[in-house]
Amino acid sequence: MVERKKLEIPEGVKVKVSQGEEYDFPVDISPMHEGERIRKGDMYVELAGPKQPGFELVMALPEDQVEDMKVTLVGKDLDELEEGKAHPFAMIYYVAGEKIDSDLEPIIERRNHDFQNYIEGVMHLNQRYDIWIRIGKNAVEKGLKSLITIAKAVMLLFKNEMPFIEKIEAVYITDRDFVEKTLKEVAMPIFEERDARVEALHDEDVEEFYSCTLCQSFAPPDVCIITPDRPSLCGAITWFDGRAAARVDPEGPNKPVPKGEILDPIGGEYSGVNEFAKTESGGVTERIKLHSFLECPHPSCGCFEVIGFYMPEVDGIGWIHRGFPEPAPNGLTFSTMAGQTGGGKQVVGFLGIGMSYFRSKKFIQADGGWYRVVWMPKELKQKVINYIPEDMRDKIATEEDAKSMEELIEFLKRVDHPVVKGVVRPVDGKKITEGWGKEEEVEEEEESEAETEEVQEAQPQLQPQMPQMTMPMPVPFQQMPQLPFTMQSGPKIKLILKNATINIDKIIIKKTDGEKKEGQEGKKEQNKR
Amino acid sequence: MRSIAVIAVTGKGGTGKTIFAAMLILHLCRKGSLLAVDADPDSNLPEALGVEEVEKTLGDVKEVFQHTRDEIRGDKSIWFEAKVFEVINELEDFDLLVMGRPEGEGCYCYTNNLLRGILRKFMKHYDFVVVDCEAGLEHFSRKTIDRADCVVVVSDTSKKGLKTAERISELMKSLGINARKAIVGNKVTDAKAEEMIENFASRAGFEFLGALPYDSMVVENEMAGKSVRDLPECEFKRKFKEVLKKFESWCLS
Repeated sequence: MVERKKLEIPEGVKVKVSQGEEYDFPVDISPMHEGERIRKGDMYVELAGPKQPGFELVMALPEDQVEDMKVTLVGKDLDELEEGKAHPFAMIYYVAGEKIDSDLEPIIERRNHDFQNYIEGVMHLNQRYDIWIRIGKNAVEKGLKSLITIAKAVMLLFKNEMPFIEKIEAVYITDRDFVEKTLKEVAMPIFEERDARVEALHDEDVEEFYSCTLCQSFAPPDVCIITPDRPSLCGAITWFDGRAAARVDPEGPNKPVPKGEILDPIGGEYSGVNEFAKTESGGVTERIKLHSFLECPHPSCGCFEVIGFYMPEVDGIGWIHRGFPEPAPNGLTFSTMAGQTGGGKQVVGFLGIGMSYFRSKKFIQADGGWYRVVWMPKELKQKVINYIPEDMRDKIATEEDAKSMEELIEFLKRVDHPVVKGVVRPVDGKKITEGWGKEEEVEEEEESEAETEEVQEAQPQLQPQMPQMTMPMPVPFQQMPQLPFTMQSGPKIKLILKNATINIDKIIIKKTDGEKKEGQEGKKEQNKR
Repeated sequence: MRSIAVIAVTGKGGTGKTIFAAMLILHLCRKGSLLAVDADPDSNLPEALGVEEVEKTLGDVKEVFQHTRDEIRGDKSIWFEAKVFEVINELEDFDLLVMGRPEGEGCYCYTNNLLRGILRKFMKHYDFVVVDCEAGLEHFSRKTIDRADCVVVVSDTSKKGLKTAERISELMKSLGINARKAIVGNKVTDAKAEEMIENFASRAGFEFLGALPYDSMVVENEMAGKSVRDLPECEFKRKFKEVLKKFESWCLS
C-alpha cells in the first residue's frame, strides 16, 4: 500500500493558512446549485480543466495527524489569479475518524464534486486528475475572494453529510510546480492502488450486492444482480457503480441486495439474492447461481453484450458478441440466440453476459470456467485474450478454425481441448464432464456395425471394405457430414464417414436377381416409417 | 431557483418547424438565459441559428461512453456529466446542445438513465429550454428529457401536417407528457387555409397561435444556407411578431 502522509510544503512558495470553522459565506450554499453551468463569459477564473494540470484527492490519516478545519493554500489566492484565465489547481483533504480507512477514501472523495457544486457560482466537473472548475464572476462580485472560503464550506459539508468524518484538513494548491509534483508523486500512486484494489475485490469481500431493474421497462421480470465478480450483463454497471447509484437514489433502479446465507459457494448462490430475485421478478426467478452456466443461470434481459451457448455435441460452451454477423458453429446467429434468451427469463443453455465478466476470476466457475469454452469469434477472443488462461489460448476455436460443428469437433480433438477427455474445473479440482473422445470410439464401433448391416443389406459388394472405416465420433451425430448413398431402388440409408481412410482396390457392381425385390421391400419399409 | 419553461417545437418534416424554433430561440434569448436543443437529426437547427460548425454531439459522447465505459475509472456518472458539459456549445447569447446521431447497437438503458439525471439537473438552470424535435418526440419517449411545459406543433396546410399534429397529441398522452399544446400554421397562402387550421386546433384541443405566410424570402434564405438572423424584413417576419405575441401570452403567462 502507498504510504499516506501529509504533504511537505515547499519553501519559498507563498502559503496562506487558516484555522477554525467559518459559517459566514458570501454566496448561497445549497444542492439546488448543482448542474449550474458557468459560461465562459460569466467566468472569473478556470481552475484545472482541459488546459491546466489539477487533481483532487482524499487521504485517510491517523487522528493525531489531522488538524481539524485547517486550510493551507499553497500559491496564489483567488483574488490574485489572473482573471479570465485557467490556472493549475489541486485539492487535497486529510480525513480521520474511527471508521475511516483507505477503503473509504474514494467514497469521500466523490462527494467533493457534489459539495463544490452546492456553492453558488462554483462549477465542478469530473474527478481525480480530470477535474475542471470554474468560478463565476457573480460569486466574486458577491464577495467570494478566497479559495480558503470554498475549502471551509466544503469541509463543513463533509462533516455534516458524512458524520463519520471526525476531523478534516485541506490543502489547496495553485502553485504549478507543486500541483505537478504532488500529482505525480502522491496522487497517481494512490489512484493506481485504488484501481488495483477494484480489480482484486471479490464477492466474498463485500456485505451486499446491488440490483439493476432498469431493463424491466421491456423485460418485466428482469432482475440483474451486480457483484464485484459479476458486472451487469449490459456491461455498463459494476458493483462500484451500483453502490454509487444506490447511495444517490436508494429507491431507484439500483438497490442494495443483502447477500444472506451462502448456499453454493462455487455456483454463487445466496439466500439474499434468491429472496430478492423472487420478489422483484414477481416469482418468475426463484434461484440464481451467479457463476453457473447450466444450473439456475442468471436471467438475461436482452441487453447483453455477449451471449453464451451450450453445444451438446461437444459438451462445451461458445460465446458470440453482438457485432458478429455470422452464425456460430451451432448454426445460430447472435440475434437469433438473443431473441430466444432475452425477456428477463432464465434460459438454460444460454447466458447473456457483459464483456467484462470474461475478466472475472469466477467466470462460469461452476461449469469449468475457461476450460469449458470451445469457441468465440476472433474479434471477441482478441479483446479478452489476456484473461484467458495461457494453456487455453490456443484451444479455443474462432471462426477461422471452425465454422461448422464438424470443423469444431475436429479442431477440439486436434488441440486436445479439455472437453474431449473431460473437464476438471479449476475451482475445486472436480471432474465435471466425462469427455467424449474415448467413449466415442466404443459407440463408434457400435454405430458402424449397425450401419454396416444396413449397407450389407443394400450393397453386399461393399461389405469387405466396411470394417476399415474406423470412425471415432462424438456422441451426437446429427450434424456430422453425411455421405448419402443414393440408390434409386435400394433402401435409403445414410453412411457417415468421419476421419475415414478407405482403400478400395476395386468395386464391382453386379446386377443380381434379388435386387429388384429387395429394393421394393426397402421402399415399403421406408413408407411405413 | 429560476422558473423555467421547456418548449418543444415539433411537426412534420418540411413544415418549417426549425425556422420557427430558430426564430423563437433568437427572440427568447434576449429575455433570459436559454438552452437550445437540436433533437432532430434530420433538421439543421445550428445552421438556421447561424452556427457554423458543431464539432461534437451528445450522440458522439454516448457512443464514446458505450465503448469505453469499461475502462472509465472512478465514478462513471461524474465522467459522463463532464463530457455532456463539454459538448454544449456556448454561443454569444445562448447555449446549444446537439443531440446528434441516433443510438447504435447495444443497450442504452444505463446511458440514458444517467443522461436523464444529468439533463434534469442541468436544464433547470435556464430560463428557457427550446427543443427542436422530430414528430416522434424520441428524446421525450426515452425520457432523456423528462419534462415539457409547452409543445408547439408547426403545420403547413396539408392534411398530413395536421394528421401529424393529431399523432403528436396522442403520443403526448401515451408518454404522459403533461404539457400545454399549441399549433402554428406555416406556408399558409389564404384565409381559407388558415381557417382550416384554426378549426382543427379548436377541435383537437390545441391553442391556435396564428398562421405564417408562404414567403419566398424565407425560402431563398434557407436555400442559401443562411441563418434566420439574416432574414430581411418581410411578410413572414411581420406575421411572426404577431404569432410571438400570442405565444408569449399563452406560454409564458
